[in-house]
Amino acid sequence: MRLAFLLNGEPFETDAPGGVLLLDLIRDCGLRGTREGCGVGVCGACTVLVDGDPVSSCIYLAGCAQGKEVWTVEGIARREPDLVEAFIEHEGLQCGACTPGQLVMAAALRARGKDPGEAATRDFLAGNLCRCTGYRSIVESVRAALGS
Amino acid sequence: MRSQVPRGRIVAIDSREARTAAGVTGVFTGRDIGLKLYGRRVRDAPVLAVDEVRFVGERVAAVVAESRSAAEKAAATVVVGVEELPPALEAEQALTPGSPRVHETPWTYPGAVVSEADPHNLQSRVCHGRPDEVEQRLAESRHVVDHVYRFASGHQGYIEPQTCVATVDPDGTVHVWMANKSPYRLRAQLAACLDMPPERIEIHPVAVGGDFGGKGSPMDAPLCVELARRTGRPVKLVQRYDEDLSSANPRHSGRIRVRVGCDGDGRLTALAADALFDGGAYAGFKPIPTVSLHGLADIGSSYRIPAAAVEARIAYTNTVPRGHMRAPGAPEAVFAFESALDELAGEAGIDPAEIRRRNLLRTGEANPWGETWLESRGLETLEAALMAYCPLDLEGGWRHGRGIAVYDRPTSTGKTSLRLLPSGEGIVAEVPMPETGTGAHTVVRDGLARELAIEPGLVEVRQVSTAALPHDDGVGGSRVTAALSKAVAEAASAFIDGGSSEAVTVVVEPGDTPQVTAFCVQIAQVAVDPQSGQVRVLEILSAVDVAEVVNPHAHRLQIEGGAAMGYGLACLEDLVMRDGRVWAANLGGFRIPSTVDVPAWRTVLVEGGSGVGALGVKSVGELSNVPTAAAIASAVADAAGVRVRDLPITAEKVYALLHSEDVS
Amino acid sequence: MDPEFAVPASLDEAVRCLEHEGAVAVGGGTQVGLLLRQGLIEPSRLVWLGRVAGLREIRSDVDGSLLIGSGATLSEIAGSPVVRSAHPMVARAAAHVGNPRVRAVGTLGGHLVHADPRQDLPPCLLVLAAEVRLLGRKGTRDVPLRDFYRGPFETAVQDGELLIRVKIPASPEPTRCCYLRFTPGTSNDYPTVGVAALAEFDAGATRRAAVGLGGVAPRPLLVDLPQLAGRPLDATALAAAGQAAATACDPVSDQRGSAGYKRAMVRLWTERALRACRPLDG
Repeated sequence: MRLAFLLNGEPFETDAPGGVLLLDLIRDCGLRGTREGCGVGVCGACTVLVDGDPVSSCIYLAGCAQGKEVWTVEGIARREPDLVEAFIEHEGLQCGACTPGQLVMAAALRARGKDPGEAATRDFLAGNLCRCTGYRSIVESVRAALGS
Repeated sequence: MRSQVPRGRIVAIDSREARTAAGVTGVFTGRDIGLKLYGRRVRDAPVLAVDEVRFVGERVAAVVAESRSAAEKAAATVVVGVEELPPALEAEQALTPGSPRVHETPWTYPGAVVSEADPHNLQSRVCHGRPDEVEQRLAESRHVVDHVYRFASGHQGYIEPQTCVATVDPDGTVHVWMANKSPYRLRAQLAACLDMPPERIEIHPVAVGGDFGGKGSPMDAPLCVELARRTGRPVKLVQRYDEDLSSANPRHSGRIRVRVGCDGDGRLTALAADALFDGGAYAGFKPIPTVSLHGLADIGSSYRIPAAAVEARIAYTNTVPRGHMRAPGAPEAVFAFESALDELAGEAGIDPAEIRRRNLLRTGEANPWGETWLESRGLETLEAALMAYCPLDLEGGWRHGRGIAVYDRPTSTGKTSLRLLPSGEGIVAEVPMPETGTGAHTVVRDGLARELAIEPGLVEVRQVSTAALPHDDGVGGSRVTAALSKAVAEAASAFIDGGSSEAVTVVVEPGDTPQVTAFCVQIAQVAVDPQSGQVRVLEILSAVDVAEVVNPHAHRLQIEGGAAMGYGLACLEDLVMRDGRVWAANLGGFRIPSTVDVPAWRTVLVEGGSGVGALGVKSVGELSNVPTAAAIASAVADAAGVRVRDLPITAEKVYALLHSEDVS
Repeated sequence: MDPEFAVPASLDEAVRCLEHEGAVAVGGGTQVGLLLRQGLIEPSRLVWLGRVAGLREIRSDVDGSLLIGSGATLSEIAGSPVVRSAHPMVARAAAHVGNPRVRAVGTLGGHLVHADPRQDLPPCLLVLAAEVRLLGRKGTRDVPLRDFYRGPFETAVQDGELLIRVKIPASPEPTRCCYLRFTPGTSNDYPTVGVAALAEFDAGATRRAAVGLGGVAPRPLLVDLPQLAGRPLDATALAAAGQAAATACDPVSDQRGSAGYKRAMVRLWTERALRACRPLDG
């Protein structure tokens, strides 16, 4: 199929198999920040935004992104460097494997409004698994970014 | 292409369709590669199975193609004919005479610690202590408890799966990029497996997306090298997560029987521990010389126990080979001992905090295994935890419980090297180990900034390949901060001596390090719903015995992340091993804690300790994940009056203990 | 075999696209994407419904019933003021399905036709006497949800048919509902047991009561409770309801629990869900 959508703010066009998953398409473009973790849509390491909605790109059919706006961590980091700053300042990462997904979720949450509080932030991040930190610093980083 | 049966003889491999499939470069089996064995200590793991398969998930054939999807599609067409043989699926069964042999002659493997006279499926057996004296003292004790504690299999749960790239130069030099935490050991392990000199192998730097003990073996690297040799192309292998969960090197399952006694004043008299663990089909994923899990042999180490004896056996079974996970053997040993200690306290009518007060090691006393530490701050750490403890309010219907557990972890150090190079206004520090998320590189940066009196931003830390620095023992074993701190101090000193303008390279040996241990006391607060058995862990309070803390933020993250891992082990994680296979084979089935599952973390640092090295540090990486399960189980017992003795603690287990007539 | 990717703009076009042998409908794609990735399905054609006009509508009908288009996402349903006002239990249940990424794109239609017996919405829709509208080449037909589920992952949808909307009749006043999902492990997961309770009252006594059960039978179960009619919803009534639900269910032992435990939990959580439906002054 002929696919055309906005990728990190720029027009993107390609011929792709009908069953291609968005994660594979993104990584084949050289955007390696979006990662395959669990491969079943549970861990969130593959999170990208499609028209502002966070999706598990590892199980998202690329065809469904037709004509939409797709943002990966690379684009979000460029567009919202203060999000990255918040994670650095509040130590919201250790190994970094889950971090792109956490950043993308933070961007999605921020687009919905101000800091919704501890419980709602945790709920929103409940599908983004981290094995290193125990989450306290991630939640603090996200809330700091939203509060600012 | 992996085995679908736990044990069998390979009769035929039909790869005709795969060989001609689109994009396929080649298909290779054990016949092509030959019997090449790798391992971290025992070399018993074949690169590809030859003639027999020993576990569900064992690598049988490899398809190399231009893309991952082409390789996977073609691999699905490979048909492996296996004559199934009866498997040994449980450790207990495997060690009985007449059980199916996982290996014909395991004592012949390089590095094996068993002999022909041992039970034929024994991987290792470690005995410490004086069992006769223990029996006598137990017989004379006023109170004795005798219970068996059990553990399901779990997984390290790193978010980045196992991954490897290998190329071979025309002159035969091997290059490897791998998610692996010990590049120099990897090089040595590859050299042994491939029968080539280590200098002809170069391990290149990569960042590692979480290790937790699961990325210290050669894993797929020998296969990638062999495939690179045969195809003349660089070869990459990235495991799918379900492969990682079910066929990489997850945690040993097992059981520990603890008998522990005390006198009328609650003073411990004797301890007998008998551990039997399942090591799976290959012993090669365990690195220590005894091929055991050292945490098991340390059971009870935080206490004064006049007589102690432990026997730890690990068996071969036809299941996935098991490996290390953060403080190997310790969470299990501490769960067993601390639970038994609480149960003993109950028998003796003594408060759980009080029985610990009476028996925790004091400075100068030897632990049950004959080790004496520079200082033993268990008591201060316990008191700090109790002082900080504050019970939380609960909604109606929930029962509140509190549980305490103690662990002490010796601080090691290791051999490592470091190079400093001037770079503009700052310096570059070339280091030999990867960053796996623990903050090792930060230790170097902050240490150098301090030693050289410059801004941390002017220090660039860069991992280099094994060709560029002499040695490193690898990440793990709670040795990184101590080893690196020493390297930093010596390198900085040499750099300054050279006028801060010349590159310097240092190699540091452990040398004479004081015997230092760090205590961690955790208090768990839980809420139990007796009608459903549900356990909500409200808070884990960790009191940690510290000396100098190099980076307080990173230090705190290790404590919180460790407690999260401890909570997962306690309440959630089970690979569900049945009939020789892993049933919870994705992260939807094998659950690790999420933001809404984890309890609140409280950390109390008990300052004033004395550590190792120029900075005087104590390890923290394998500390707070260890006592958590014990603290939670004791809290559940406090809340509901029932003791769960097998992990994970599930609502159903609590319910079954409370309502034994209801569940069929 | 690489599937075609069809993007119909209307329902009629969608039905025509589905007539192709091996065609599979795609809502948010989370289920189909997963099955494709795992190699468990090999469709010849993917028919994406994301551009079909009118499929995402959520509105009240003239008779007071709630109409939800099958293309509405779980997130939209959870946040819809119309749903929250008419049937807050449905909005709350939708807010718990999967994780935020699933809810952002997962559609009601995709959710219902997936037919995993553990799902959150079917028990809620069952007690509310919901009805689904199916559209195929022969036209539309309405199927009460209580007749919709045939077995695990099996529904009344025939080849070439699409689920296009769900209708939830208005509940007579006063009616109280409560959905409880029991997740003793991780919360972000299918429940071990899900209970949707509904009670209609008349002068303090129960006029009609029912529970919908998830996770304890090969399909979501509707358990009518005629034995509660005409009585106050007191402890005895709650116990009778729990007993009836426990008898009606048919759980299997799996990772989330043994059959015996699940049955005991059905009893407990039925009582709790119905208790939460009690009139505030009762």
